[in-house]
Amino acid sequence: MRVLNFTVNGTPRTVHLEEGRVMLASVLRDSLGLTGTKVGCGTGQCGSCTVVMDGKAVTSCTVPAEKAEGTSVLTIESLAEGGVLHPIQQAFVEAGAIQCGFCTPGIVMRLYALFTQNPDADDETIMKELDKHLCRCTGYENIVKAAHLAQEKLRAAR
Amino acid sequence: MTLQHVGKSVPRVDAVRKATGEAVFVADIVLPRMLHAKVLRAGVPHAKILSIDTSKAEAMPGVKKVVTGQGCGMLFGTCLWDQPPLAVDKVRHAGEPVAVVLAETGNQAAAALKEIAVEYKKLPFVLDPVEAAAPGAPLIHEKNGEYRRVEYSVHPIPGSNVFHHYKLRKGNEQEGFAKADVTVEDEFEFPLSSQAPLEPHGAICRFGTDGDIEIWASNQAPFVLRDVLADMFGIPATKVRVHIPYLGGGFGGKSDVSIEPMVAYAASFVPGYAVKLVLTRGEVISGALIGRGMKGRMRIGAKLDGTFTALKAEMYFADGAYGDTGWPVDTVAGHNCTGPYEFPNAIVDVYGVYTNSPIVGAYRGYGHPEGQFMSSRLIDMLARKLDMTPAEIMRKNFLCEGRKNALGQTIKKSNGDLFGCLDAVEKALAEEPLPPNDERYVYGRGIASMMKSPKMAANAASCCHVQVNADGSAFVNLAGIEMGQGVHTVFAQMAAEALELPFEKVRIYFDVDTQYSPWEWQTVASMQTYRGGRAIQDACRALVEKAKKTAATAWNCAPGMVAYREGVCVHPNTGATLSLGTLARGFMAANGLTVGEPLAATGWYRVPEITEPDPETGMGNAAGSWTFGAQGCALRVDRQTGEVKILHFASAFDVGRAVNPAATRGQVTGGVVQGMGAALMEKILFTDDGAAKNVTFPAYKIPRLHDAPEKQTVVLLETPNEEGPWSAKPMAEHPIVAVAPTILNALRDATGVEFTAIPVTPERILEALKTRKEDK
Repeated sequence: MRVLNFTVNGTPRTVHLEEGRVMLASVLRDSLGLTGTKVGCGTGQCGSCTVVMDGKAVTSCTVPAEKAEGTSVLTIESLAEGGVLHPIQQAFVEAGAIQCGFCTPGIVMRLYALFTQNPDADDETIMKELDKHLCRCTGYENIVKAAHLAQEKLRAAR
Repeated sequence: MTLQHVGKSVPRVDAVRKATGEAVFVADIVLPRMLHAKVLRAGVPHAKILSIDTSKAEAMPGVKKVVTGQGCGMLFGTCLWDQPPLAVDKVRHAGEPVAVVLAETGNQAAAALKEIAVEYKKLPFVLDPVEAAAPGAPLIHEKNGEYRRVEYSVHPIPGSNVFHHYKLRKGNEQEGFAKADVTVEDEFEFPLSSQAPLEPHGAICRFGTDGDIEIWASNQAPFVLRDVLADMFGIPATKVRVHIPYLGGGFGGKSDVSIEPMVAYAASFVPGYAVKLVLTRGEVISGALIGRGMKGRMRIGAKLDGTFTALKAEMYFADGAYGDTGWPVDTVAGHNCTGPYEFPNAIVDVYGVYTNSPIVGAYRGYGHPEGQFMSSRLIDMLARKLDMTPAEIMRKNFLCEGRKNALGQTIKKSNGDLFGCLDAVEKALAEEPLPPNDERYVYGRGIASMMKSPKMAANAASCCHVQVNADGSAFVNLAGIEMGQGVHTVFAQMAAEALELPFEKVRIYFDVDTQYSPWEWQTVASMQTYRGGRAIQDACRALVEKAKKTAATAWNCAPGMVAYREGVCVHPNTGATLSLGTLARGFMAANGLTVGEPLAATGWYRVPEITEPDPETGMGNAAGSWTFGAQGCALRVDRQTGEVKILHFASAFDVGRAVNPAATRGQVTGGVVQGMGAALMEKILFTDDGAAKNVTFPAYKIPRLHDAPEKQTVVLLETPNEEGPWSAKPMAEHPIVAVAPTILNALRDATGVEFTAIPVTPERILEALKTRKEDK
C-alpha cells in the first residue's frame, strides 16, 4: 500500500492511500477529516477545494496525493486555530461575503497565500486571484469587498 | 415602538462557521458502517434494456452489492407518479441511473462500474420539445395519461409526449386582437441550463433492520422527501426520518426530490448499512435536475397609445424524461408570462413535454424568467413600432390598484409600486451617460419590469415552535432550510423583534430533522421570510400571552392588565416585573410552589384562500402574493470580439420591507449575475447521440468575477402592506427574472439586432453584426 508523508497544518502526517487515483482533497477530507476543504467540481475550476501547499494556493481536487509527499499543506482549519478568526475570515464575515458558504474556505485560502506572499498586492492581482473561483450566490460584489477589507486588516496588524 | 432588529443589516448567524469550514454539508457527514455508492448511467438517451450483467462487478474487491431496477415496481412522485428510482425496462435519458454499486470505498465502487455489462436496443430519441410534442414523435412514455396523478392539476394528452397542458383563457383574445392597432410577435428560446449550486447533490440513506429509513440529504423540502419515500416504500411517514444539513446553494435544483429515491432504493438492499452518494459535477447536470428549456411564441396587441388589448402565447418545455417536477414550472410559466401588466384578453397554452433529456425541475423563479422573457422583449419591439419608449408602454399597462392580473385577481395598492421601481431604475441609469460609440465599442441600454408570484400547494404552511429557557433566552424551531439565502439570520431577527429580546438571546435551530422540526411545506418560492416570519410572529404572540397569564396568576390580577416589554412582564399598578426567564418553567414562589405553564408556544401561517388554477380557464386565486420590480442596464459590445461587458446593472424591487437590507442586496447582486450567465453564457448542449455534452466546468460556463457587471445599483422600495411580517414580502428569486430581457433589450439598443434566443454568445454577436439580420 502506498504511503503519503507530509505536514498538515503544522503536524506531520502519514496516510495510507487506497488503490487507484487519490487526490489531495480526498486525503484531507476522507483520511484526515478536514472537511472544511470543499469539492465542487473535481476539475480545479471552481476553486472550492483550494488549500495552500508549500506557500502556494492549489486546487486540491486536481493534485494527485503523491505530489503532496514531503510538502507542507495548510487548510482552512489552520486559520482560526485557538478560536480566533483570522483577519481574512473576519473580513468575509464583516463584508457579508458569505451566503451558502461552500466556496468560502477555498477563497479564503487563496487570499491567505496571496497576502502572505504579497501583502501589498494591487487590485489587478487580487482580482486575478479571485477570478480563479466560482461563486453562484453573491455576484462577487462582497467577495471583492472582503478581499480589500482583509488586506486592510492585515496591513493594520503588521 | 420603533423596530429594533427588523430592518437592520446584522451579520449572518452562520457566517463564522462557514468562514472556518465548520459548517457541515452532506458530503462532510460520515456514518458508521458506511458504503459508498457510484452510479452507472445509461449513456444512451432512449433504449430498451435487454439485459444487465452485474456478476463481474459484484465479484470486485470491496463491493458489497450491485443494485439495478430490474423487477422494481415502484414509481415515485408528488403529483404525477411516473418515475422509477432506477431504470426498469427502458432508459429515457442518457443520464438515467441503470445500476448502483455499493462498495467500501468510492474508488472500489467506481472500478466495479466498468465491469457492469448492459445490452440495449436503441430507440429513436427526441430532444426538442416542439418536435417531441408533434404527432409521430418517438413515444417516451407509453403509459402517459395512465399514471397516478393529481387530476385537478396535471393534464396529460395520452398517446403523445405531452404530460401536462396548462391553458389560460382570459376574456376573448380574438376580440382583443381585433381592437389592436398594432401587433408584435416573435419566437423565443430559453434553453436548458443548470442551477449549478457549488455544492453537488448528495444523500446518505440507512435502512434499519426494523424497516426504519433515515436519510441525510441536500434537499430544500425535507417533509416532501419524507412523504415521497414513505409512499414509495409503502410505510408510514413515522418510519422515515430526514436530516438536512447546510446546503451549498440550491436555486431550486435541490427543491424537488431527485437522487434520494435511488439512494434509498439501493440502501434497501443492504439493511444496517449507510449508503452515501455525492454526485460529480457532471452528474449534477446529467443525473439530477436541470432548469428552463422553453421554446415559445408570443403575440401582443396594443392600441396606438400603447394600451395592451390582447396576448397570445404558446410554450413548449423540454421537461425531460419524467414530468413530476416539470409540470408546476409549465403552469407558472403560463399564468405569469403576461408579466406585471394588465392584459384584458389572454390565451396561453403551455405544454410540458417528455423529451430524452435530463429532468427539468425548479430553477430560481421558475416559469417567470421563461415567460416574461417573451413579453419583455416584445414590449421593447412594440415601443419602436409605436414610437414610444418601452417605459411609457410599461407605465400604461402596469398592474396597479384595481387592475386585474392574468389569473383574474384584483391588485391592491399594497401589492407594490411598479411605477416607483421603474422610476428608480431609470434614474440610476440616467446618472451615468452612455459613452459615444467608437471604432471598437458600441453601447446600449435596456430595461424590463417584472413580477413574481409564488407557486405553492394550496395547503402550504409554515409551523413554528418557540421555547424559553430559564436564562431568558429563546429557541425558535422551524424548518426553513438555510441554503445561502440567509433565512436563519432573518428568522432570528424576526423572533428577537417579536419577543423584544436582544438578538443574541434568540437561537434558530439550524439543522432540520423531520423527527423534531415542526412541519413546513418546503423552502421554495422565496416564501420563508414571508410565511415563516408570520409563523414566528404567531408563535411569539402566543408565548407572550402565556407569560402574561402566568404573571397575572402570580400577581393575582387579570391577564389583560399585564403589560409586556423587552422580555419582561410588568404589573400595571405596582410596576413589579417578571422576566421571561423567571416565567420559563412557570412562576415559582419562594417556597417552591409553582403556577402557570412552562413557556413554550406554537404558531403557524398559511397564505389564505389559495386554489389551484381552474382546469378550464387556468384562472383563480393561485397566487398568494406578488413582488414587483424593474431592472435596467448599460452595456458595451466589442465589435471585434463580440464580447459584452455590463457597465451598470440597476435593479429596484418593492420588497415591502427589507428585514436585512445587506442580505437582500446580496440576493440581488447574486441573482443578477446568475441571470447574466443565462443571458450570455449558459446552455446545456447535447452530442449527436443525445447525451448532455458540456456537463463539467468549464465546458458549462457560469460567470466568474471578470464577467460580473462593473457596477450594480440596488434600490429597495418598501410599500406598507398587511400581508407580510412587518410588511416583508417574498424576495430572493426575483432578481433573476428580468435579467435576460434587460440585457437583450440593451443589446438591441447597442447593435440593432433583435435577439430572441439565449445565450447571446460572442460568436452569435459577431455573426449578427456581420449580417445585421434579425436573429432567430
